[in-house]
Amino acid sequence: MILQAENLTKAFGGLAALKEVSFGIEEGEILGLIGPNGAGKTTLFNVISGFFRPDQGRVVFAGEPVSHLKAPSLCRSGLVRTFQVVKPFGNLTALQNVMVGSFLRTADPGLARERAQEVMELVGLSGCRDKAAKSLTISDRKRLEVARALATRPRLLLLDEVMAGLNPTELVQMLEILKRIRERGVTLLVIEHIMAAIMTISERILVLHHGEKIAQGAPKEVAGDKRVIDAYLGEEYLLA
Amino acid sequence: MSSPTRSRGTLLSAWLRLRSISGRSLYVLAGLAVAAVVLALVVKDKFYLHVLIMMMFYAAASSAWNIVGGFAGQLSLGHAAFFGIGAYTSTLLFIDLGVSPWIGMLIGGALATLVAGAIGYPSFRLRGPFFTLVTIAFAEVLRILTLYAHDLTKGSIGISVPFRPALGNFIFRQISAYVYVALAFLVIMVLLSLWIEYSRLGYYLAALREDEDAAQALGVDTARYKLVAVLVSAFFTALAGTFYAQYIFYIEPFAIFSLDFSVLLAMMAIIGGLGTVWGPVAGAFLVVPLQETLQAKLGGELQGLHLVVYGTVLIVVVILLPQGIVPSLAGWGKRAFGQREARPAPSLKGNP
Repeated sequence: MILQAENLTKAFGGLAALKEVSFGIEEGEILGLIGPNGAGKTTLFNVISGFFRPDQGRVVFAGEPVSHLKAPSLCRSGLVRTFQVVKPFGNLTALQNVMVGSFLRTADPGLARERAQEVMELVGLSGCRDKAAKSLTISDRKRLEVARALATRPRLLLLDEVMAGLNPTELVQMLEILKRIRERGVTLLVIEHIMAAIMTISERILVLHHGEKIAQGAPKEVAGDKRVIDAYLGEEYLLA
Repeated sequence: MSSPTRSRGTLLSAWLRLRSISGRSLYVLAGLAVAAVVLALVVKDKFYLHVLIMMMFYAAASSAWNIVGGFAGQLSLGHAAFFGIGAYTSTLLFIDLGVSPWIGMLIGGALATLVAGAIGYPSFRLRGPFFTLVTIAFAEVLRILTLYAHDLTKGSIGISVPFRPALGNFIFRQISAYVYVALAFLVIMVLLSLWIEYSRLGYYLAALREDEDAAQALGVDTARYKLVAVLVSAFFTALAGTFYAQYIFYIEPFAIFSLDFSVLLAMMAIIGGLGTVWGPVAGAFLVVPLQETLQAKLGGELQGLHLVVYGTVLIVVVILLPQGIVPSLAGWGKRAFGQREARPAPSLKGNP
């Protein structure tokens, strides 16, 4: 287990965004996280990645309890997230964006540049190296978000809807990128609404609904689960 | 994943790399230094030498401000606090204890760094305008304290620096000598800015300026890096304070701890190009001669006329070049010659 979440609970005022959510991620797997809007997926990301503190429960990463750590320390120990609404450093070039990531593991600008270029190659951003990040297309911004996170050399990468808003060609490319990242030994936790994508790429899937875990298992099992169909997939999904 | 570590470069290799990154900037800097030396040797008119000194003094001081205000994007409107600490520390040490202002300057810098830590440490943990407000308040408080501590600082009477010319006293008979000192200060500030821009520190400051959450997600301890920026900035601003005291020979609380001075440092950097190496220099080189000549030519005429002209020129510049002089010129050059710009400059709206 590279990550274990135990009884995570988080409330905002009277609204319980997460209710006693527990799950684990095996090293090297891709775990999909699905659920309707407002199910608590992004809140779960925020809690795991150190942006929110859980009200109850704890997170264990690589054998160490980490719920008290903030995002920068977690990033240093290898747990990195991306944002659903991408957050490029708009006035920096794409390459400089990725270099901010690679600077985590080296203070040498030359080496940081080299490693950033390598990562950009991997996600297919080499053509946009010197473009200002704010002038990139949405597809390239999503790739930039992934590249930057990858440049920090994570062990576990949390991807928040990196496929939303992509056209079918770009979607296929992004799936290819995720596979390549996994081949490098990075474990992935992926939030996604596009069922065709998440079902093909994930080994296992976790379903949240109203802040609770309602199902967990192989894509096929989850897709056939009565509660998941009622809460999220709908009858049409079975027919399709 | 493997993470090979490279041996630390020597000073020479660091210099060579700096040259490879910013060759053009080093040529500009060398040209500027030669021009200043030639002017110091040729020009005999004290007024013009004074304008030259003030241009370089403000360029250096605004560059110091730019480290936290521009590179880190944390707006300070109280740099007069650090400036005043530098001026008063070295002057009091010189007059009361006979300590050379060259040494007093470093002690003043250290004190200003401490104060900057006291301002930055709590306020950088919060988001929003707290840092700006605390800097303004601190400068005001220091002015009032200086007024009250009459026995030490002579309050509103101010302190005159005795004219005892000697290299060790940081006091020179020849006004041209101050040109060299101001030039040395400016060269140090530009080299420091170039180094910051090129190094990890510069990338991290740019990142946290652009988006603090994203920077944290990539492992940047944003509060810590903002603090580093304000400490460095305060240290060099205090050095400017000592230079001012040694050149003007008179300091008093209203002139030293003034909001106007803080705003001026920020304004020069903003007009020239916020968060760029050459922005503060361009801003100071535009504003100072304008201010000085207007005051000399129009100051005796209708009262306040020079301020009206000065304000009008600044408004026109900001309307025509909203990103600042340096980024706008770089943008024109890029469009005209198809050159690639190494680092796009932040706009004033960099922080949403």
